[in-house]
Amino acid sequence: MATALAFQHVTKRFRNGRVALSDVSWSIAEGRRTCLLGPNGAGKSTSIRILEGALRPTAGSAELLGEPIEGPGYAAARMRTGIVPQGPGMYADLTAREYLRFAAELYDTRPDRVIAAFGLRDHLRTRLAELSGGFQRRVVLAAALVAEPELLLLDEPTVGLDPKAGREVHDYLQQVMRGRTVLLCTHNLAEAEALCEDVIILRDGQVVVQGRLADLRRGARSRLRLAVHQGPEALTARLDGIGPMRVDGRSVLLEVADPEREAPAVLRRLLEAGLDVYECTPVQASLEEVFLEAVG
Amino acid sequence: MKPPRLSRAVRVLLRKELRQFLRSRTAVLTGLMLPALIMVIAPLVQLAASAAGTAQRATSTLPAGVPGMSGLTQLDDLFLYVTFPLFFVLAGLMTPSLAATHTVISERERRSIELLVALPVSVTDILTAKTAANLLVAAVTLLPLFAINAVAVLTLTQAGVLYVLAALVLVLASLTASIGISLLLALVARDFRTANNLNGAFVLPTMIMTGLCVTLVPGLWRFLVLALLMLALGGLAYVIAVRWLTFERYLT
Repeated sequence: MATALAFQHVTKRFRNGRVALSDVSWSIAEGRRTCLLGPNGAGKSTSIRILEGALRPTAGSAELLGEPIEGPGYAAARMRTGIVPQGPGMYADLTAREYLRFAAELYDTRPDRVIAAFGLRDHLRTRLAELSGGFQRRVVLAAALVAEPELLLLDEPTVGLDPKAGREVHDYLQQVMRGRTVLLCTHNLAEAEALCEDVIILRDGQVVVQGRLADLRRGARSRLRLAVHQGPEALTARLDGIGPMRVDGRSVLLEVADPEREAPAVLRRLLEAGLDVYECTPVQASLEEVFLEAVG
Repeated sequence: MKPPRLSRAVRVLLRKELRQFLRSRTAVLTGLMLPALIMVIAPLVQLAASAAGTAQRATSTLPAGVPGMSGLTQLDDLFLYVTFPLFFVLAGLMTPSLAATHTVISERERRSIELLVALPVSVTDILTAKTAANLLVAAVTLLPLFAINAVAVLTLTQAGVLYVLAALVLVLASLTASIGISLLLALVARDFRTANNLNGAFVLPTMIMTGLCVTLVPGLWRFLVLALLMLALGGLAYVIAVRWLTFERYLT
């Protein structure tokens, strides 16, 4: 499968001396949906800005749809890319219709299809700054998709939205990400988990994890979730010595090498000790756990 | 030879800029006040005073032997060749500077530049469209006022069509200088107030330069020399802005 996005030994040092990315290399194959995760200041937005041509790497090179970002083919690649910026300011003197028409003209197309697809028909006469946060985000998403791009770069598309608006935008994302190469930069791990199949985790401007989410989960610590009527204290006393554990509400999460193989022995031990076990479930590591393990 | 054409991205951006300019009618109307004062009211008052003969003694105080002043025997000459060029330059400088500064700074301050970065345009496209839009709006604002001035000059004085054409060139050149420099200063400044202060500071040396030209260059040549200086200033500012400007500098 061809490479859609690539960073090769990219370093980005700002004028104030801050290093946002340090010798970063990663690649995303065509058609893959990848989330770019990391704590604040890890270099996520800087990566997106390099790909959108707003920042130049201090060293190394980046490619967008196979075109080097400083090469002659970059402008054509940009025309095949839709970008949703992080929390952009909204024009107070342009209506939604005017902005979408403006975006469509830049891509040499018409906005009618996205206006219908994003349910914007009743809001076209409203000035962008007067739209609700959810509708502003829909307009920006519509502008990014106006030319049916092959590639989507999404920088925190649901940040700052209330739960209802966030859910709506999430649903739209789910629809539009199908069949496209996507790089989703987000803090929302649940969103990343629901929308993406691959993950890149950055910390302090360096890649600490890259791979398929399913593989990373399998490689992460496996656990058994256990619960007994006598309470978690009785449980931890009986599990002592088997492996690291932590109390999670009324249950206990016990780290084991292979949950499915070890569960019967653990269960027998608890039952023999007279505990009334009502839960014993293998737990797959969540993206949150993979993330926390990677960034410490 | 075909005239240079604006790229499609610049044309689309230009339409957006013009739409934004015209969105506030109050801003458009109040924007006419200062140019009307400088381009129409002040010159007409001078011509009316000259016609009424209330200021006939003024020419006798002109310094002798100064190249730009030789041959200015009538009071009308003093107005046409000394004060009017100052008005034309001042109108050209003052009319577009606020709007030009605002269009650059506001895009950064309200973070709408992020919307533009996400679209397939270059930072040079953005600056070129802003320059063209400011030039168009300022020209459309000033030219009708200039026409009133020109009719008054042709009717009330001995000046001919050549004078009016030279004055028109000077007005347009001053507009160009003002827009080029305002955009450059707005890009360099981090906020609106700083940009305005820098713009204000730029007016003084320009007016001194104009005063020197008016004093030292005779006849209609002063208009041509001044226009060339203004075009050079504006062009230089635009070239520096385009060379210096990157999205990184605009965004941060």
